[in-house]
Amino acid sequence: MKQIQMTQNPSFSLISTNKIIQMNNVWTSYDSKNFALEGINLSISRGTNYAIVGQSGSGKSTLLKLMNGMMIPSKGTIKIDYVTPNINNKKFKKMMHTIGYIPQSLGLVKNITVLENILIGALPRLTKLQSLFKKFPESEIQEAKRIMSLVGLSGKEDRKAYMLSGGEKRRVAIARALMQKPTILLADEIVSELDHVTAREIMNLIADAQKRMNLTAIMVHHDMQLALEYANRVAVIKEGRKILEIGVEGDTIVDFQTGDLNTEEIMEMYSDDTKK
Amino acid sequence: MTPKNNIIIGIIIALVVVASYNVDANPLEFAKGLPNLAIVAEEMFLVEPKYIPTALWAMFETIQMAFIGTVVGTAIALPLSMLAARNLNSKYVYAPVRALLAAIRTFPSILWAILFVIMVGLGTFAGVLAIVMYTVGFVAKLQYEAIETIDSDPMDAVNSIGVSKWQLIRYVVIPESASHLLSQMLYMFDYNVRQTSILGLVGAGGIGFYIINYIKFFEYGKAAIFMLVVLVTVLFIDWASVKIRDKYIIKSQHGMKVITK
Repeated sequence: MKQIQMTQNPSFSLISTNKIIQMNNVWTSYDSKNFALEGINLSISRGTNYAIVGQSGSGKSTLLKLMNGMMIPSKGTIKIDYVTPNINNKKFKKMMHTIGYIPQSLGLVKNITVLENILIGALPRLTKLQSLFKKFPESEIQEAKRIMSLVGLSGKEDRKAYMLSGGEKRRVAIARALMQKPTILLADEIVSELDHVTAREIMNLIADAQKRMNLTAIMVHHDMQLALEYANRVAVIKEGRKILEIGVEGDTIVDFQTGDLNTEEIMEMYSDDTKK
Repeated sequence: MTPKNNIIIGIIIALVVVASYNVDANPLEFAKGLPNLAIVAEEMFLVEPKYIPTALWAMFETIQMAFIGTVVGTAIALPLSMLAARNLNSKYVYAPVRALLAAIRTFPSILWAILFVIMVGLGTFAGVLAIVMYTVGFVAKLQYEAIETIDSDPMDAVNSIGVSKWQLIRYVVIPESASHLLSQMLYMFDYNVRQTSILGLVGAGGIGFYIINYIKFFEYGKAAIFMLVVLVTVLFIDWASVKIRDKYIIKSQHGMKVITK
């Protein structure tokens, strides 16, 4: 089955060997003694739906901030498409235009409308004058509206962001990220505060976009079940270390260290490791 | 109350008494002077009604001066506040701008008025310039403080798109601090009307110019009428700005509707 897929779409195997994100022995610290991450190695292929799972304080949000250049490691190397992420690096700053980042707080601008919030994703494509006078080209507005209908926000263009529900706010944040025409999508616990139904809706939305745009999606969760359901690959982070990395192919889970395992065993391992 | 507190209170009272003696602040004089108020009140009724339109016109002139000063001052203060905000600039930018703003604020508006009277001569223009300076110093401070309290989450999220600093200001900083700005402008206008009313004392135009001249010629009744106009106007503006703030500004800041009876 896997073989057939690869021959049908030869470019897939070519792209999948292309590592879009590589982290080598990455350490980060907020002060000289306490490390948030301790020697993380990660290698993520282009087009993967990747999940990072861990409890709060395990360092998983830090991992995302390292990938979009908002934080710099104290030791080790990171390459995003062969460029070292750093907001002060001009080459990387250009790459940031196509890295969608959805923080846990979502980071919406409260006092502007839904449409304006989404159009922020298009700002890097605007000229100085256009952005000064809020003159978005008609094509960008049409694109924003198209994305809005995609994420289920049609008709809410003029609603102020502070008036939205939790689920709607997440849709706006996703739409803003998609507006960037991203190659990488980073999302930090985007569904953790939602009810089950809404959480699944939001996850399906991202999974759809990920497949259609061949995005590399890296999503942080604290719910292992959700991660296994949607991701092709899951890394478990505990106290700043990667303790497990598994591949998910349908119902089969491949542990890269110990061989094949079933879902139950993984869930057990995960709960043993994280709840001790 | 502990004995220590009693001693401290005793010392403070003693200091007030000694200082009053030094500056000739005698409560008896105050009591003796009270009947003078009655004389002024009596004179007020003797003032011919033809002075009332003059008083209203002078007040209108004062309000216009305060309005120009508030708007122009705020327009100058805005870019300065962006430069003075610690979360938008490096130390080398915000520190000198803050020092400049602090220096502007050190002068009360009446001293600015004296300076501008020397520069551009007697009259309302000097008063307007004084109000502009005062507004710049204060609104810039209020505004950079508002910018510094903006939620850092949208700033970080939009920054992570790799936008320019000007785009960040245009799409996050201004919208998130705009409701504060409106409220500050109202407050400043309210305050500036009061300020402008006394700038005439140093020859910088407005209703204060009439008041000081009547006082110089011992026409206390007329001076009192003009002061009464100031009082009523200020009370009205105060009331109106509270209404406007409740209706438009508090709502947009908290994202809810304020129920007004």
